[in-house]
Amino acid sequence: MSEKLALLHPEMVLFAATCVVMVLGLARSAVWRSACAWLTGGALAAAFVLALRSPVTDGLFPHFLAYTKAMIAGVALLILPVMSGTVDRWYERRVAKGAAFDALRVTRGEFYAFFLLSVTGVMLCATADDLIWLFLALELTSLPTYIMVAISTPRVRAQEAGVKYFFLGALAAATFLYGFAMLFGATGSTSLDAITIQFRGEGLSTIATLGLVMALVGVSFKIAAAPMHFYTADVYQGAASPVSAFLAFMPKAAGLIVLIQLLATVGWSWGEAGDALPDAIRVALWVIATLTMTIGNTLALLQSSAKRLLAYSSIAHSGYMLVGLIAGPGGTVARNGLAAAMFYLLCYGVMNLGAFAVLASLEVRGRDGEPAEADAIDDLRGLFRVRPGLAWAMTLCALSLLGLPPLLGFWGKLVLFTSAIGAGEIGLVVVMGLNSAVAAFYYLRLVRASMLDERDPDAERPIVTEALGRRLAAGLSAAGVVGVVVFASTLQSASHAAATPNPRYDEFLKVEAPARQSPPAATPTARHN
Amino acid sequence: MTTDHASYLPVLLIVLMAIAFAVGNIVLSRLLGPRREGAVKATTYESGMDPIGGARKRFNVRFYVLAMIFLVFDVEIIFLYPWAVSFAHVDPRSPDGALFLGRVLFFLFTTVVAYIYAWRKGVFRFE
Amino acid sequence: MTALLAQASAFGSVTLYHYLFVSAALFALGVIGFLSRRNLIIMFLCTELMFQGAGLALIAFGRHWMNPTGQVFVIFVLTIAAAEAALALGLVVYLYRRKSTLDAQAWAELAG
Repeated sequence: MSEKLALLHPEMVLFAATCVVMVLGLARSAVWRSACAWLTGGALAAAFVLALRSPVTDGLFPHFLAYTKAMIAGVALLILPVMSGTVDRWYERRVAKGAAFDALRVTRGEFYAFFLLSVTGVMLCATADDLIWLFLALELTSLPTYIMVAISTPRVRAQEAGVKYFFLGALAAATFLYGFAMLFGATGSTSLDAITIQFRGEGLSTIATLGLVMALVGVSFKIAAAPMHFYTADVYQGAASPVSAFLAFMPKAAGLIVLIQLLATVGWSWGEAGDALPDAIRVALWVIATLTMTIGNTLALLQSSAKRLLAYSSIAHSGYMLVGLIAGPGGTVARNGLAAAMFYLLCYGVMNLGAFAVLASLEVRGRDGEPAEADAIDDLRGLFRVRPGLAWAMTLCALSLLGLPPLLGFWGKLVLFTSAIGAGEIGLVVVMGLNSAVAAFYYLRLVRASMLDERDPDAERPIVTEALGRRLAAGLSAAGVVGVVVFASTLQSASHAAATPNPRYDEFLKVEAPARQSPPAATPTARHN
Repeated sequence: MTTDHASYLPVLLIVLMAIAFAVGNIVLSRLLGPRREGAVKATTYESGMDPIGGARKRFNVRFYVLAMIFLVFDVEIIFLYPWAVSFAHVDPRSPDGALFLGRVLFFLFTTVVAYIYAWRKGVFRFE
Repeated sequence: MTALLAQASAFGSVTLYHYLFVSAALFALGVIGFLSRRNLIIMFLCTELMFQGAGLALIAFGRHWMNPTGQVFVIFVLTIAAAEAALALGLVVYLYRRKSTLDAQAWAELAG
C-alpha cells in the first residue's frame, strides 16, 4: 500500500503548504501575511517538479500522472500572479495607516489556502483509482471555489454569484453521486479497475449505462458543459476577474480528468469498428458536445460584457474538448483524441488566463465614482492608446482562442480535428468547424475594441491597477501563446504518452485487480425482515 | 458455560476512565477555578442564553461559528469508528501496522490544524 | 419469534427494489423541490435530500453485493454533506446580512 503514497508527493507538498498558509494569513505582522502568496508559489513550483517525476503506474494510462499534474501545477503557477491584490486590498491599506489588526476581518490566508486546496483536488482527481476517491477529489476541487467566489470582492454581486455557484454545484454533486451509486450497484465495486473488469467481461447493463450518463451529466457542471452550463456567465461575471480565470481552468481540468477516468472504465472498444464508445454513451456525449459548442458560441455573440463573453467562450471550449473524448485514444499523435483534449486544456488554460488577466489589470470608474473592475467590452476601447502592451496581450490571446494559425490555440484545435476525423466523427467535425467560424465574430470584437476603436471623448479612461502581478500574468500568457508553439510538438507527444493505454493492462487486471477488491458474494441478497 | 471475564477488561477500563475524568474535572475546578457569586451566576444554566423570555429571539452569530467548529470534531469521530474496528485485525508486527496508525494520526493532525486556525482566528474569544 | 417472522412476512419481504424505489423517490423529490422552491434554505435542504437518496442507494447496493464499501462511501458522503451544510449556512447568512431576503428570485444584480 505504501507505494501508493509515492504517487501523491505533489499533493502532499501542496497540503503541507495549505496548512501553513492558513495560519500564516492570520499573523500580526504584515510581512508574514504577505508571505502567503510567495509560499503558495513555492509550493506550486515544488509540486511541479515532483509531478514531473511522478512514477509510472500499472493502470490504464501509465504516464498519465506526470503530464496531467505538471500541467495543473504549471497553469496554477501562471494564475497565481493574477490573484495578487484580490482580497484584503483595502483592509491592508487601512492597517498600514495604523488601524488595529483584527484576525476575523482578514481573508488572505484563507484565499490562498482555498486556492491550494482546489489545486490539490484537481491533482487528486488524476491520481484517483476509486469512485469514492473521485467523488472526494471533485468535492475538494469545488468546495473551496464557492468561497473564493464569494469573498473575491466586497461587492454583493460576488456573494450572489458564490451562492448561485454553490447551489448549482451541490445539485451537480448530488447528480454524479447518484450516478456513482448506480455504477457501484451495477458492478458491486467502487474500484475503477474492478469496474473495468466487470464491463469487459459482462458488458454494460442498463443500470450501469444510466449511472454513467448521470455521472457524465453531473460532471459536466465542472467543465461548464451543456445541461449544466447555466451558472457560468453569472458566476464568472459576479466573481472578480482573477477568480473567474481560476474557475475557467481548475474545475474544468478536474471535470475533464474525471470524464476520462469514467469513460476509460467502459473503454473505446465498442461500435462496429471496435474503436468507439458504446452507443448510448457516445450519443449522450455527442449531444452534450454539440449543444455545448453551439450554445456557448451563439450566446457569446450577444454579450456586451467581456467577462460574460469569455464565460460563454469557456462553455464553447468545453464542447471542443468533449470532441476529443468521443474520438478516444488512437494509436498515433494525430488520432489520439484524449491526448488532444488534454493538450487543448493546457492551451486553453494559457490563452484564457491572458484574456482574464488583461481585464483584471484594468479598472474603470463606475457610476458611483468608485473604481470597479473592467467588465464591458466598451471598457477596452482605446486600450491601445493607453496601454499598448495590454492591448497586444488581449489581441494575441483572443486570436489564439479563435484558433488563428501560428498561435497556440490553432495547434490545440488541429489535433482535436484530426483525431475526430480519424475516429470517423465527420458530423462532429462539421459542427466544430462551423462553431469555430462563428467564434471568430466575437473574438474579433475583443481585438477591435482594444486595438482599433477610439474611446468616446467623454468616457472615463481605464485605469491600470497597481497590482503588478496581473500585468505580469497577462504578459506571460501572451508570451506563452506565441512562445509555447515552439514546444507544441514536444507537449503534444507528452500528452500522447500520457493518454496512451497500457498494452499490458489486461494482464494487470487479471493479476492485480481481483485481489484488490473483495469478491462479491456468490448469491447477492437483500432480503430483510 | 464459562464467560471469558478478561474480554470485559477494556469496558471496565473505559468506565474507570470516564469516572476519573468526570471527578477529576470537578475537583480541579474546585481547586483552581475562581469563585464568584452573583445574580447571573445563580440563574438556570442554558448555554449562555437568558433562560427566561420568548423562544423566537435572535441568536448571536457566534453560535453558528461554534456550531461549525463542532461539526469538524463531530464528523471526525465517524471516521475513527471504522478505523478502530479494522485496526484490531492488523498484525502489530507487520509494516502495515505503522502505516495504519500513521494514517489516523495524520487525519487527527489535520483536525489540529483546523483547531489552531480557529484559535488564531479568534473564534473562541467572547468579548 | 415465529410469530414475529409471520407478522413480517405479512408485509412481504423488503427487497433491493424497495430500497431503490425509496432512494429514487428521495432523489426526485429533491430535484423537484430544488427547481420549484425559492427559499435558499429549503433549496439547500433539497440538495441534502438528493444526497441522502444517493446514500440510501449506496447502502442498499452494498447490502446486495455484501460489500461494506457502500457503507464506507456513505460515511464520506455524510462528511461532504456536513461540509456543505457549514458552507451553505455561512454563505446564506453572509448574503442575508447584505440583502435581508432569502428569496432566490431577488437576485437583482445577476439577471439571467
